[in-house]
Amino acid sequence: MESLGYLLQGFETAITWWNLLYCLIGVTFGMFVGVLPGLGPTAGIALLLPMTFGMEPVSSVIMLAGIYYGAMYGGTITSVLINTPGESASLMTCLDGYPLAKQGRAGTALGVAGIGSFIGGTIAIIGLMILGPAIAKQALKFGPPEYFALVVVGLSLVIGLLGKSLIKGLIAALFGLTLAFVGMDPVTATVRFAFGQENLADGFSFISIAMGMFGLSELFINAEENLKAKGERPPKIQNMLPRREEWNPVLKSIFRGSFLGFILGLVPGTNSVIPTILSYSLEKKIAKDPSRFGKGALEGVAGPETANNAYSGGALIPLFTLGIPSSPAVAVLLGAFIIHGLTPGPTLMQKNPQFVWGVIASMFIGNLILLIMNLPMANLWARITMVPFKLLLPIIFIVTAVGSFSINNSLFDVGAMLIFGIIGYFMKKMEFPVGPVILTFVLGKIMESSLLKSLTMFSGKFYMFFQRPISATLLIIAIATIVISLSLEFKNKKIGGEVEI
Amino acid sequence: MKIIQSTIKNAEVYLSLFFILFGGVIFWQASNMHYYSEFGPGPGLLPLWTSGFIIFLAIANIVKSVKLNKDSTSLAKIFPKGTGLVNLLACVVGLALYITIVKYIGFTISGILMLTILFSRGYKWYWALGLSILVTGILFWLFVLTLGVPLPLNSFGW
Repeated sequence: MESLGYLLQGFETAITWWNLLYCLIGVTFGMFVGVLPGLGPTAGIALLLPMTFGMEPVSSVIMLAGIYYGAMYGGTITSVLINTPGESASLMTCLDGYPLAKQGRAGTALGVAGIGSFIGGTIAIIGLMILGPAIAKQALKFGPPEYFALVVVGLSLVIGLLGKSLIKGLIAALFGLTLAFVGMDPVTATVRFAFGQENLADGFSFISIAMGMFGLSELFINAEENLKAKGERPPKIQNMLPRREEWNPVLKSIFRGSFLGFILGLVPGTNSVIPTILSYSLEKKIAKDPSRFGKGALEGVAGPETANNAYSGGALIPLFTLGIPSSPAVAVLLGAFIIHGLTPGPTLMQKNPQFVWGVIASMFIGNLILLIMNLPMANLWARITMVPFKLLLPIIFIVTAVGSFSINNSLFDVGAMLIFGIIGYFMKKMEFPVGPVILTFVLGKIMESSLLKSLTMFSGKFYMFFQRPISATLLIIAIATIVISLSLEFKNKKIGGEVEI
Repeated sequence: MKIIQSTIKNAEVYLSLFFILFGGVIFWQASNMHYYSEFGPGPGLLPLWTSGFIIFLAIANIVKSVKLNKDSTSLAKIFPKGTGLVNLLACVVGLALYITIVKYIGFTISGILMLTILFSRGYKWYWALGLSILVTGILFWLFVLTLGVPLPLNSFGW
């Protein structure tokens, strides 16, 4: 009941004309980066971040969160129409979405995806509204050992679920973790690994690493492969709704996808690809005729599309309540919080209720805007796929350079972004996952300070982590995850292992 | 002899060597820092372990990739050729040039130069120049005049 009161106050904040405008800009830009293959929500949020400096924190996060969930909708359009996922979470949609388009049912596939995304997104926001305050209340009891253990769980899941090779995933994760140590040590204030460079005394800028590894590296790959590519003319979209007999199985898939996506969103270290793969497998397994899958089954579109939108709502819970990002896109969002002077974590809901509930309320509105954009305006969005990349690339490039500079007014950051872009380019080419670099860079800072504080508390005795029930349970989960990941690696069976975030 | 030849042609070996070098530098620096201090764990504790693991895993990756000897990780497959290489170099050189000159000649001129290099990969030079002036102008208006984002400007204020 208390949450409902706060939510109404949140709507008061969210429905001011300027916040509605920022929400509209955010979801539209999110759709845009989702539609364009190569640019995902992570790069999208990083690109618009510099524009938010002069804005109020709530308006800024409303816009950036809009990009995050808007991209999930946008990625579907190219998956269905031209068999190219706009972002990795829409990969599974290609399997049945494109065959449906070839049968002349592209409109129905997009309609089902739009309705599913709306329902999944809305259910996740309701979940966030109910569970968020309860988790934040519990998290207030967390001390440094519990935080350390929680971050270790997140790190173990990052390692276990990403990339084709555990060795490459581990190298990427440790690379990000080590980069987090550059700069001042949180306990003794010793400046480490700065090599006499004043610019490195505070460590690497998060945006330089995120934009370089995700944005710039992807632009390099696209410049190399697609600069002369001409946009494929998409088929005409009509008849957006399923047939009467199709509604029942589609709605059931939508609700199963919502539940699955939301639950997985709560787990730090997962990515939006995993719920879509699990949802697709589940739908295929329980279908009366599994042979329809891959040939144009509507449930194969409805389940995964719903799951990825429910996931993005659920993934905001660890951010709002614990200050822990669950995916690279949420990690960039965390960077935005910090730039605007907000500290995500258990006290955020208590100290800044207007901010948190304003953002949550704006997500309801954003989902509605996206539903309207997706159903009647799908033809318009489809035409964006025809914009030549040779026109887009230089524009995105200069915006990236401006964005990276304006965080600290530092050309060093732009140079660092270029270096990380080159490293990311080669890592992607050799199938090293870049997602863990970003996640461990963010988690590494939290982990180091909580570990050092804990060990100081315990006079250096590590076993005392296992004498506190919460930290002991979490560390056992982390150890079990690593053991399971290793055994799966040896058996070559990985969930989502073929897909990188 | 065959193993040496395939190792030299294996791109993963070079990326792993980069990680070994990175890990080595961090390990060497961390080993000169306090492992433990009077307040508890020292600044060298975690970096020493993570860099040590990076070195170990990168060596393991070299062994694994040489053993597998996959065609997909050969230098010939990884490194771009022809137009792809020129496009890639245009991006890297364009941005490096922008970073080098922007503090001397300001955002607009260096922005136009970088964009002309990039647009010229897909358009005739006069279109590339026109588009560069247009895009830089719009960005100058949006970031500097409207949003007040401080960008490096020349003595004329652009």
